[in-house]
Amino acid sequence: MATEDTDPDMTRAETTLAMYAGPLLRRIAAMLLKPRSPIPEEELIERCLSTLMNPPVVDRRLRDLPDAARKILAIMGLSRQSSWKLGHLLTILATMGHAEGLAPIHTLLEYGLLLPVLPTNTPTIASFEEILTRSGVLEQELFSLSAVAARAREESLGFPDLSDPRVSELGATLRIADGLEWPLRIAAVSQIVAESPFRLTMARALFKRDLTRLQTNELQASAPADHLLLVPDPGTLCFYWAEAISMFRWENGELHSRNSVVPAANAFDDLVQLTAALSRLESWDPERGYLLVEEGNLSPFPTASFAVFFLLGSASGWVTAQSIADYLWEHHPSWQGVLKKESAQQHGKTWIEAFLFGVAYPLRLIEVLDGETRVARLSDLGKHLFAGGPAPQPIPAFPQTLMVQPNAEILAYRQGLTPPLIAKLTRCARWKAIGPACTLELTPEQTYIGLESGLTLSGIIQTLNQHGTRPVPLAVVDLLQRWANKRERITVYSSATLVEFQSTADLDQAIARGIVALRITDRMGICSDGGDPDFKNLRLLGNRDYEARPTKCLSIDDDGITLTVDTAGADLLLEADIGQLAESITDDPPGLRRYTLQPVLLKKAIASNWTLEDLDAWFIARAGTPLPAAAKLFVLAAQAPRVEARSRMILSVPSTEIADGLMQWPSTLEFIEERIGPRAVALSEENWPALRDLLLQLGIICD
Amino acid sequence: MTPPTTRLAAKLHRRVCLVLTEDAHLAEELLARKKLSSAVAGRLCDNVLLIRPGLVDVVLDELRKASHTPQIIGKATSGS
Repeated sequence: MATEDTDPDMTRAETTLAMYAGPLLRRIAAMLLKPRSPIPEEELIERCLSTLMNPPVVDRRLRDLPDAARKILAIMGLSRQSSWKLGHLLTILATMGHAEGLAPIHTLLEYGLLLPVLPTNTPTIASFEEILTRSGVLEQELFSLSAVAARAREESLGFPDLSDPRVSELGATLRIADGLEWPLRIAAVSQIVAESPFRLTMARALFKRDLTRLQTNELQASAPADHLLLVPDPGTLCFYWAEAISMFRWENGELHSRNSVVPAANAFDDLVQLTAALSRLESWDPERGYLLVEEGNLSPFPTASFAVFFLLGSASGWVTAQSIADYLWEHHPSWQGVLKKESAQQHGKTWIEAFLFGVAYPLRLIEVLDGETRVARLSDLGKHLFAGGPAPQPIPAFPQTLMVQPNAEILAYRQGLTPPLIAKLTRCARWKAIGPACTLELTPEQTYIGLESGLTLSGIIQTLNQHGTRPVPLAVVDLLQRWANKRERITVYSSATLVEFQSTADLDQAIARGIVALRITDRMGICSDGGDPDFKNLRLLGNRDYEARPTKCLSIDDDGITLTVDTAGADLLLEADIGQLAESITDDPPGLRRYTLQPVLLKKAIASNWTLEDLDAWFIARAGTPLPAAAKLFVLAAQAPRVEARSRMILSVPSTEIADGLMQWPSTLEFIEERIGPRAVALSEENWPALRDLLLQLGIICD
Repeated sequence: MTPPTTRLAAKLHRRVCLVLTEDAHLAEELLARKKLSSAVAGRLCDNVLLIRPGLVDVVLDELRKASHTPQIIGKATSGS
């Protein structure tokens, strides 16, 4: 039973209530708490949450609710899924014969027994009409605290008893699955994703390449050992199922396997989690396999699946697929639309058979009687979930269930596999075949993935020994050791803190005192996890973040080629870059670091991977000014066209106005080659006498 | 000798990407790969390479292409 400390939705509920406007929150508190005296505003949220965790009060509020509202909570409680899309809840209600529309949803929201899932940047909600009248409302997720939904489990959903009294068990075979098939296949699918991440479109569809990987995977395409009926695209089903139970994480727009998934404690908890996740599977159909619904519509799979379970929960005996199909045909608002033409002729019987015998049977939710016709009823687990039955007896444990072969293959006998063991094996070995005896393979790649996910070599060997029918062969231990050692050859610190001390002696002391663990250079060290050291042992002289912009730490002398480094502001990247462009001046006094830009080095940098723009940007970042002119000369010299050198006369005049006049009057312009300054013009020596005469005529005396 | 409780003067270099190899020979082998060497800003010592900011994924891809299986300490990256 969830408590205030353990209900996973408690934090979400608190955040959502904080988004309600004051008057709305007060209305909810009035309905939920029925307080005798006004509650201070700052206590409203806390009081609402503690009331939601108070079973007797929740029971009283449930009694106040109309039928349809109670049934919504019952759906959530029985499905063990505390978060549903609004459209799905309305569809299941309609299947039960309720046509009140949004009214029961609104009532539950007003009581605070149901809350909307809202993005963190949602503006304050003043009324629920803001949520219930917006477009796309059918996709709106709603959630309830598990503790609240659980109190509604005993509510009768009003489904009919479809059991067939004519079914005889004589001569028929009773079948029940071990419940391991889907968990094993889902574990195997997580390894496909770990090999190479998946991407989904905006509509959550698979790209063709990834879809092909799932559809052509040999293990996923193989028939289960204990099967009644094969479903199409089992790999795609397992992919979406794994995604629904958070076995993947998003990173840079791709889905990656999450190696730190905490497995269920036992097989039944695992199956309960998978059952609850059926409500989130909208891209797969038992008849058609991978199937995308049109935008704006909801897949009928989640609602039809749970309607099947609720119908079985209401039955007192064996039920035929046809009777379930007939019921859904008449009552489910959208299920008919997804049926194949041949299936529709029998009111969807083949869809129900595919779901019951292809999905629910391997989930161990139903027992099947294989006689003249195949009929189903809930199993012990199914009754516990959907019919108020007792918790099923734990399956006997067979701890010694593995056999590690000298060729690094592992034989795993199914009856001993548990969710924690399946999770560990999935991290360190590759699933090859799933059957009465499953096969896995120890490989370098999978060993590496296991070690990267946090397993240790000794832990892997211990698991194999602990669950093995005999010790791990020495040859296999040796192989694992070699593969693990390979990982020790290169270590990448993706974002580490390097500590630079002022002397080697200081670094020695830091290592002795445990401030840093590893010596990197004669003055630099690092903690073993690459993280920050304990600052109480350090007096910080500087702090440079290498993911921030580079800092100014150079000054350029007037000659344009001598660079002086500000040692306090300098960083490791500066040292790396400046060596490509300049030579260190060796006879400087201690504490002064200077460099001289060298033409040869600059040309070499340009020839390799630097451009002029890169150099300008680097100097602006480090010195505050672009590449100095003298240095630019070194770079551009080789590309400059031929330089012309000849003698010319320079005439300097007293004012710019006179120079302007000389340049404009055609008689003087004829003798001038070019203006070289505001008061200076250039001309050839042979033109000087003629120009001098003209100037004398104007009254300008020439020296 | 500095007493053991004295604070040691130090400069922090944060969020640095480093590649530590088993030995100098392996570092040379990595530097011989063109794409990898272009991501290397410098060599702090014989077996420690400083990687330019933002290029850790390039380095990891190149290491894997070269059939290395590096131990990655720090942020989770693709492929693990």
